[in-house]
Amino acid sequence: MINLLNRPVTRLFLVGLLLLGVQTTLLTEMKFFGIIAQLLLALSITTGLVGGSESGALAGFVLGLMFDLVLTSPLGLSALVYACAGWGAGYFHSRTLANPRWLDCLVTGILSGVATFALAVVANVIGVEGWLSGRIIKVIIVVACVNAFSAFVFIPISRWCLAIRREQRISPPVELFL
Amino acid sequence: MPVYSVSRRRSIAILALTSLLLMTLDLQGNSIVGGVKRVFGAIFEPVQSSVRVVTRPIENAWNGITNYGELEAENQRLQDQLDQQEGSFIAALATVRDAQELLALNGIDNLADISSVTAQVIGDSASNFSQTVEINQGSKRGLRVGMPVVNAAGLVGKITWVEENRAIVLLANDVLFGAPVQVVNQAEVVAPTTSTTTSTTSSTTTTSSTTTTTSTTTIPVTGTTLFGTVTSTLVASPTTVDFSGIDFDRLSTTTIGTIVTIAPGSTSAGPSTTIDINNLSAAETGIFRGRGLDAAPIVEFIDQNSRFGEVRVGALIFTSGGSSSLAPRGIVIGRVIKIVERTGTSGAVLEVRLSARLQSLNFVRVLLYQPVATAIP
Repeated sequence: MINLLNRPVTRLFLVGLLLLGVQTTLLTEMKFFGIIAQLLLALSITTGLVGGSESGALAGFVLGLMFDLVLTSPLGLSALVYACAGWGAGYFHSRTLANPRWLDCLVTGILSGVATFALAVVANVIGVEGWLSGRIIKVIIVVACVNAFSAFVFIPISRWCLAIRREQRISPPVELFL
Repeated sequence: MPVYSVSRRRSIAILALTSLLLMTLDLQGNSIVGGVKRVFGAIFEPVQSSVRVVTRPIENAWNGITNYGELEAENQRLQDQLDQQEGSFIAALATVRDAQELLALNGIDNLADISSVTAQVIGDSASNFSQTVEINQGSKRGLRVGMPVVNAAGLVGKITWVEENRAIVLLANDVLFGAPVQVVNQAEVVAPTTSTTTSTTSSTTTTSSTTTTTSTTTIPVTGTTLFGTVTSTLVASPTTVDFSGIDFDRLSTTTIGTIVTIAPGSTSAGPSTTIDINNLSAAETGIFRGRGLDAAPIVEFIDQNSRFGEVRVGALIFTSGGSSSLAPRGIVIGRVIKIVERTGTSGAVLEVRLSARLQSLNFVRVLLYQPVATAIP
């Protein structure tokens, strides 16, 4: 049982479930300029930043799928976009030797904005019209800013989820040795 | 330096393809997807409830800090509005009752025949794009997917997801919302005049005389009213507003979720009324569609009806009902605020202002209505 709880997927699922609860209750009331922060997206990106592209993509897929399961939007839409965001974060991580905290926050913010735009574009492609409107600019800016700040909190959480220890964290990325 | 191996790329491609497959299945209405959502909903519901309890004080504090001034101003405005409307409430009830009797006399279904469940809105959409709310009643109270949701002002949306004790309502301004509607030009509505006449019938053969008091409601013969032109004088029995069917206590906040059934007016002792169906005012029909938060909903695909004439700004939008429509006939949706003419055969597009304020919903009513085509016996 303890082994099961210590597995990254289990940890990620449990943290994701808790964040989904916060997302669907507290954040629907605590809006910033009328826009809801996207915590699951932030966690997907920070998981990619600390764990690499594969972990990021898998985390993004799982978290996005969980989000889709409580929304009325098509199932798999958020999963696809969040997986790509997590993968993108991991790709960035693999290209740098040192990741100062401010850079992680900046990347989280930028990728959050890109993912929000991509979400509307993909929705439009599959026939859900109306998401690409003037309001999306405001949504992108607010989500990017909030997620950038939330990265300070989510990076340690992502490390705990992936069970990344300090010696692993300060060593160069695994991809360098492949 | 190979940064990504083939296997890594493959795993990412598999995730992307899985997402696309899920999207395809969901858009086709696959039952497995519905089952998965239901299972996840059952797992997630206790977590969400617990988080809601824990975060409620934070929510309240946030709302107190950010919305205090706004709430104070709104409270004052609503108080003024309430004072203004209090007087007209009883008169409106009487008019509604008259309309119900007319509909019942003609065998037309009306909203008062439909049972409803009162529910409280307990959450908004967690997405910045979907326009949904969560309500605290579910399949346990008879709610099903597709049932229309209304409030005192008009149509709010429809149920898109039901669990045992909660349901998701797709709001009327969501891009996925659509409904067949009728557009009725708002004519110069002349208020029905009510006069009380006293007629004395005297008999020459006997010494007794009888005095009869009747209340006569006269609807103007000429001019188009909302419900059509009535060619006869409608003589109704003394107008009494029957509150017995409406349990106002049960509608209060303390008894959330009780089934409220408003019985239609009795027609057994009704007066004989003649309504010329041919003279009823014509109405355009079209499809109502939401367009998201920052664009007004529209009505498009309007049937051209020569009897109707031109649609005017201010025209009323109602649900048109029908055997396949998810909403019954006659739910108010809103008014036309702009007419966008299009070239060719595509017809005009009407921009609509919704009657219901969807940004500040609290209590709503779910009509336990299912069209004939989809009704489960």
